[in-house]
Amino acid sequence: MSELLRGYGRGLVALFFAAVVAWSLLLIILPQLTMLERAVTAPKRQLDSSIAFQLQRDAQTCVSVLETHLAAQDAPDAADQGGMAVPSMSGMAIPSASVMTNQATGADAPVRPYILQCDRATTRLRMVRGADEPPVWLNELHDLPLLAVTDTAPITDQMATAQEIAALAEELAKEIQQQEARAFPYTTSNFDALLAARAVPLSAEQRAQEDAKLSDKLLRLTGLRFDRDGQTHERIGLVTLSRTLVYAMAATALALVLCYPIAFKVALATPPERAVWLFLGLVIPYAIVELMRVYAWTTIIDNQGILNGFMQWAGLITEPVQFKRMPGTIFIVVVYTYVLFMVFPIYNVMSTLDRNQIDAARDLGASALRVHARIVIPHAKPGIAVGCIATFMLAAGAFSVPRIISRGLQSEWFSQTIYNKFFESENSNVGAAYSFTYTLVCFLIVGLFMWAMRTRLKDFARVQ
Amino acid sequence: MGAVPILSGQNPEMHGKDVCLKGVSITYPNGFTAVKPTDLTIRAGEFFSILGPSGCGKTTILRAVSGFVEPSAGKVLIGGEDQRGIGPNGRPTALIFQNLALFPLMPVWENVAFGLEARGISRKERRARAHDLLELVALPDQAEKMPGELSGGQRQRVAIARALAVEPAVLLLDEPLSALDLKLRQHMRTELRAIQQKTGVTFIYITHDQGEALTMSDRIAVMNDGVIEQVGTADEIYSDPQSAFAASFVGEVNMFRGRITAIEDAMARIETPHGVLHGRHNGALTCGDDAILFVRPEQMRFGPDAGANRFSVTLERRSLEGAFLTFETRTQTGARIVIHQTNTGLASHPVDQTLQVSFAPETAVVLPDGPVASTGSEMAAQ
Repeated sequence: MSELLRGYGRGLVALFFAAVVAWSLLLIILPQLTMLERAVTAPKRQLDSSIAFQLQRDAQTCVSVLETHLAAQDAPDAADQGGMAVPSMSGMAIPSASVMTNQATGADAPVRPYILQCDRATTRLRMVRGADEPPVWLNELHDLPLLAVTDTAPITDQMATAQEIAALAEELAKEIQQQEARAFPYTTSNFDALLAARAVPLSAEQRAQEDAKLSDKLLRLTGLRFDRDGQTHERIGLVTLSRTLVYAMAATALALVLCYPIAFKVALATPPERAVWLFLGLVIPYAIVELMRVYAWTTIIDNQGILNGFMQWAGLITEPVQFKRMPGTIFIVVVYTYVLFMVFPIYNVMSTLDRNQIDAARDLGASALRVHARIVIPHAKPGIAVGCIATFMLAAGAFSVPRIISRGLQSEWFSQTIYNKFFESENSNVGAAYSFTYTLVCFLIVGLFMWAMRTRLKDFARVQ
Repeated sequence: MGAVPILSGQNPEMHGKDVCLKGVSITYPNGFTAVKPTDLTIRAGEFFSILGPSGCGKTTILRAVSGFVEPSAGKVLIGGEDQRGIGPNGRPTALIFQNLALFPLMPVWENVAFGLEARGISRKERRARAHDLLELVALPDQAEKMPGELSGGQRQRVAIARALAVEPAVLLLDEPLSALDLKLRQHMRTELRAIQQKTGVTFIYITHDQGEALTMSDRIAVMNDGVIEQVGTADEIYSDPQSAFAASFVGEVNMFRGRITAIEDAMARIETPHGVLHGRHNGALTCGDDAILFVRPEQMRFGPDAGANRFSVTLERRSLEGAFLTFETRTQTGARIVIHQTNTGLASHPVDQTLQVSFAPETAVVLPDGPVASTGSEMAAQ
């Protein structure tokens, strides 16, 4: 510390520490904590109080709509002259099928038009609970009378019922809100979605086909897919998560297998003046924006793309191969996109190896394999670790590649699932739970990997 | 560092083999010929030095023997067997690198046992052998340390132990002492020599330091510009050089360029800008040839009593080297003459500014004109 102060002066050191603290707080700790908090908070609209509150609003809307309807019936002229029979857009809806049939039979004909809020205004509401739990109803849970605004009752009765419901719901909402405020605010229910099993609708033939696949056997072996009540169930969230991780790990492994010999060749087995050209060849493709590189692949793998065109021209195929439907395509493009993050750390650390050590080992009788196992790999280990971690994290978080390559024609990667939870199903709490779980799992994998490689953080200083 | 009991401990079963270069020449892909066609025989079990300035091709010869470089022409024989096509890991040689190239991520004993590991010997036996070898080089307690924790001299010995572990028939040493300081270097010379005699392995020692070559070697090859100029014992090289380069590179020498005017039996008369001088010649000269007369500084005498070769010089500098004194003088014709005199502690040396110096004709050597080694000031200017 005093050395730092002497070397750089008080101002610079203070700035440096401020930057480090700001960096770790603002960009690492705070977002993760926020994410965690969100992940363990139940989505607001799923809360019991929210449901009661929504009931109150529905009932109130129902009352006011019915009032307007009544007024319109009393003074039909006014209504014809442009008066509003229905106060809001939400009040207007296509008549439900049941209403239509009722009208057709003539018996118990409804006395009011279809009003969504009135239909929804019933004390028999289903509460949001876990997928595996039996249904819970509002009236049973809070000992409310079973009330509903039946459209065949006289309108005044309907209004009275709706008003009664609104009053009950208002009181109940307040009560539940107070309870909820006192109760422990956090829940793990957001994570349930990740673990939940969903029935997969499959015909007998499809099932037989699926069961023959290796991936299916693996899923069944790990309990991610199972049969219940004659239906195939799959834990879709977990399946996506583990499949993405497997792809990311395989991509990392393939990148390592590709990069190690390249890095070795450029760093140690080529005279420096020629290595420059090899190096240039490595860098140039990466002077193109990542998205453009991924789009370039679509021109190759499209049905009318280069690859299919070539194979058709060569007479190998008659129908274009649907590359964009193959998981392998995404895998290969991921490897291509991130392979450089593997090459450079390995190259950097390898270029610091004294070539004499390789010569010495060979001179002492070591085979090429042993030279690598005992001399080159131990020396390059920090670079290999850094490269693997970088490539793995990039592949695990790859979003553009699966999205652009598959265009929704394949099962999604977990990064896409998280995106969808956040922005498509607009459930940021579940999204946060997914995202936090993913961060944690990746972190664990990286930690395990470092432990297995016996690399300590200080070794990474050698890479640069 | 005390006396090292090199001759104690177990004696590994080793024996040297002879190395023979037949018409070996080595041209690099960029067209540079590092070694011109060379014949050289190194006897089994001898300590052989290749002495030459940097860039003369001596390391290339070493790499050709160890198998890192294939000769462009000719062949390398070790123990009578042609080594063509055999890689460095298949030859009965071990190389000690200039920077030693110890494996920094392995403890000392694994370094020493690396060659055994490559030969598939069990870990237990490797440990035992490494222990024996570390004892041989007087480092029995350092087995578990990492190379980075050792001193320069200790690392040196680990490198020797590591090379000896594979029981090579030929040990190749590429200026391994150049990184050590003077005292340690002098000590390691004795140790290397002792290890060589104890193990009986053929040592080929590359150096640009004539002191190392002269003190340790059975025989020396003097090399310049890809050509071996002379092969002989230290005495032969020093007192009977065969080429102008060998005469000028090994030891200090006074040089007089001139033309042969007479040959009388073993003596030659040479006319130089500094006067007519006499010296021995080896028979390759005839009248009218350009030649150089070499005479060692310690052969110069003060006073005119030594006969035919005499100068009148002025003293420019007198310096004490310890065991002897150096006088730098200049003749009236501008020739620089260096004189060494043993430091007897008595005031037997002159103090006058103008002196008479001479040397006996039989102590001087006349050789055909040719390239000579650069002097210190020339090297500094480059």
